[in-house]
Amino acid sequence: MTSTTITVNGRAVTADVEPRLSLADFLREHEGLTGTHTACEHGVCGACTIMLDGRPARSCITLAVAAHGTDVRTVEGWDGDGTMATIRDCFRKAHAVQCGYCTPGMLATAYDIVTRLPGADRDRIRLELSGNLCRCTGYIGIVDAIETAIAEIEGGS
Amino acid sequence: MNDRGVGASIPRKEDDRFLMGTGEFTPDVRIAGMWHAAFNRAPIAHGRLLSVKAPKGAEGQVFSSADMADIKPIRSTASFPGFKGADFPVLARDKVRYAGEQVAIAVAPTRAEAEDIADAIEVEYEALPAVVDMNDGREPSAALVHDHWADNVCCETEFANGALEAAKEAAVHTVHRRFRMARQTPFPMEGRGTLAHYDSRLDELVVWMSHQLPHPMQRGIAHFLDLEINRVRVICPDVGGGFGLKTHLDGETMAVCWTSLRLGRPIKWVQDRLEHLICDADCRNHQYTMTAYTDEIGKILGMEVECVVDAGAYSPWPWPIGVEAATGVGNLQGPYTVDALKGRSVTVCTNKPPSQPFRGVARPGACFTDELTMDAIARTVGREPWEVRLDNLVPPEAMPYDTVTRKHLDSGDYPEAFRRCVAAIDPEAVRERQRTPEPDGRLIGVGFACFYEQTAYGTGPFGYSAWGIELVPGMEMATVKLTPDGGLWASVGIQCHGQGLETTLAQVATSELGIDPDRIAIRHGDTATAYAGTGTYASRSIVVAGGAVAQGCRELKPRLARIGAHLLQCDEAEVAVENAEVRGPGGSVSFAEIAEAFYHHPENLPDDTDRGGLTVTTGYNDKVHGGVFGFGAHGAVVAVDPETGQVEILDYAIVDDCGTRVNPLVVKGQVIGGYAQGIGNALYEESDYDENGQPLSVTLADYHVPAAPMVPDIKYDYMESPSPYSTMGIKGVGESGAIGPVGAIGNAVNDALKGLGVEIAETPITPRRVFDAIERGRAS
Repeated sequence: MTSTTITVNGRAVTADVEPRLSLADFLREHEGLTGTHTACEHGVCGACTIMLDGRPARSCITLAVAAHGTDVRTVEGWDGDGTMATIRDCFRKAHAVQCGYCTPGMLATAYDIVTRLPGADRDRIRLELSGNLCRCTGYIGIVDAIETAIAEIEGGS
Repeated sequence: MNDRGVGASIPRKEDDRFLMGTGEFTPDVRIAGMWHAAFNRAPIAHGRLLSVKAPKGAEGQVFSSADMADIKPIRSTASFPGFKGADFPVLARDKVRYAGEQVAIAVAPTRAEAEDIADAIEVEYEALPAVVDMNDGREPSAALVHDHWADNVCCETEFANGALEAAKEAAVHTVHRRFRMARQTPFPMEGRGTLAHYDSRLDELVVWMSHQLPHPMQRGIAHFLDLEINRVRVICPDVGGGFGLKTHLDGETMAVCWTSLRLGRPIKWVQDRLEHLICDADCRNHQYTMTAYTDEIGKILGMEVECVVDAGAYSPWPWPIGVEAATGVGNLQGPYTVDALKGRSVTVCTNKPPSQPFRGVARPGACFTDELTMDAIARTVGREPWEVRLDNLVPPEAMPYDTVTRKHLDSGDYPEAFRRCVAAIDPEAVRERQRTPEPDGRLIGVGFACFYEQTAYGTGPFGYSAWGIELVPGMEMATVKLTPDGGLWASVGIQCHGQGLETTLAQVATSELGIDPDRIAIRHGDTATAYAGTGTYASRSIVVAGGAVAQGCRELKPRLARIGAHLLQCDEAEVAVENAEVRGPGGSVSFAEIAEAFYHHPENLPDDTDRGGLTVTTGYNDKVHGGVFGFGAHGAVVAVDPETGQVEILDYAIVDDCGTRVNPLVVKGQVIGGYAQGIGNALYEESDYDENGQPLSVTLADYHVPAAPMVPDIKYDYMESPSPYSTMGIKGVGESGAIGPVGAIGNAVNDALKGLGVEIAETPITPRRVFDAIERGRAS
């Protein structure tokens, strides 16, 4: 067991964990934050994407002990964030959600695109989304949502 | 009038919880004292199972088939000629028949510990030669997947209708082709998973499952565990996609249920992606041999076809071996006026996972076959494929039209939908472009596909009852209840795993009663809340559960009218029930006031108040039983790189007709989602095996699920041809989008390759297959 301290959604959490425990399992099993979903567990599908020190990261291939000292934000941790509120509203209106399993990871990546690449066009949005698989929507609604969110945030700022 | 009912593109009610991360999927459910399960799986495709030995210290945490003598093997039934029910053992017994078959279950306080124990189980095997390819499996020299059978063929069906001999005699052209589809996996983002827990207060086994069919699973688990149905409750909570994968009773679930009862503790198993890619590589593996007879201009006079299906090792329950093949042969004429068809299907057992339906069942295979045949006919007669299609499509004036395979096509203007698709693609412009070589050396091609989608079918000819299977869908039930505050609560026996039915079923009720969708709660996926049902599959739920909810609302109306008229002190005949109120000549009372009187102030009720109360349980059973038929036309323009074999989609158009659209936003989402899976089917997805039956597609580096850059934007249009047979004219649309892409993209690739004299006839159309075809063309 290794003592690990991670800031999760603004709150410092210290726990003794097995070195092999993934950050995803730490969030889900230890912290009860089941909004982070695991789907491939080999770092390809992006369902488990969370924000680690402000950048999207795969929590399924990040060990909890390796996240020691970092700041982690999960889908449950966006209260009061206007950008995420806009993105969520755009996802709703563009029917960018079907079964909802990939959605938390999609939102993390969408947040990264919207904030890092405000000039992104549809091709660039698609490229940036290539690390997040969705089996239901065919992506077009998700691309629509991110494109609209960029425009709304640009227009509002 | 509430304008948020049928026809309104309102955002979905279920989105909020998914966007906030507060949905609850089976892996998210936790119960005090819960342990986790992991499975030890066969490392070889075929072999005798000699012994299973638990690691030291874990003896009470490992169970194999030897421990589970009280579980019956999962056995399916069917009336297909020669049907051999290949019993599906819960855990392998005597033999293993595919790599990845579950051999033993290990349980421990954490998943990691359970996996450690599962890995340390010692299993001895005697390896046997594996049957890997369906054609090899039919050879007399093939190993036997099931030792007590004379061969590996587990059912054969034949079908003939119309004057084929006369068609052959009259034919000017004969076009003969063989098509194959690779094995695939449905790949829902959430894999399978089960949590079983014995509730001692209720004397009930509660089973959370990531599944599409709650009531059938209740019946199956009870039956195979020998329990009363009263003692099993199945809950399918939020489910992260299904696509047909989650329609059978899996051995893992049975083993988890048994172990939970045995140990008296909640047990959870969550399938990981490696397990999914290996054990659920279970669909689309078909081969079609087609001969089409046509007149001089390409009008099809008759068809002769053989469909071979690789069934894998066992027959799943409740949809048995043989359903795929029957669906394959039963749709091969497509939406065309073919008058004679002779079909034969052969289903072959192999050492691969048991085959399952995947979105569209065999319809993508049938579409690939009839649509590529259509273009081959066009090339043979020297006409454009869109012109030949228009000559063959069922015309609107022939509706309703009975196909040669006895599908009763109910409504639609197929040629008009197709013409719109052709206009969106503008193939004449593609022909113009093809006259000049591309600067990058790529070859441009254009292709189309037309298909119908048989939705919400139940009994009737070539429906489930004709197959003699154990569970025949048809009567779908709903309970609707006016709540004490004037809202509506409805429970249904279907299950929603992405289709938005919590919203669309509410919209149906809104159209009937005027109650706002936000005040309507739809409950599904739980045998304790829904009276009956068979779940969600085969594009049925909005038709059948929508019909049942509408009927429930309609039966509530006279009860509301009677109480409302009494409160308004007028005659029942004078009132109208709409807009969430009962309106009489001198005023109106809201549903909330009526509910208040019924639930809390019976002194205000008329003496003849219906004793059924303000709740109705009623059902939907369509008038024709064979389902209602949607239609789709897809068109694609592709660029093929002859040096690499790479295919790029340059343009794509879809015109879809699913009758009355309950929520156009949701309809379009279903079509586009299907289209993306169809692209995977056409270009990328393949569960491959080596000559020993070892799976080769075991990571997402080997199995290519389309990502966003692989799914281009589309031109989308729709028509609305309401069904004369269903409530409000609704047709299903869940599978439509997934059927067409193999046909349209396959034809576009072949159009690009036509100058080289080669054709593609196998999915997925990978760079290797295209490159090999071009090389073959150069060699000949």
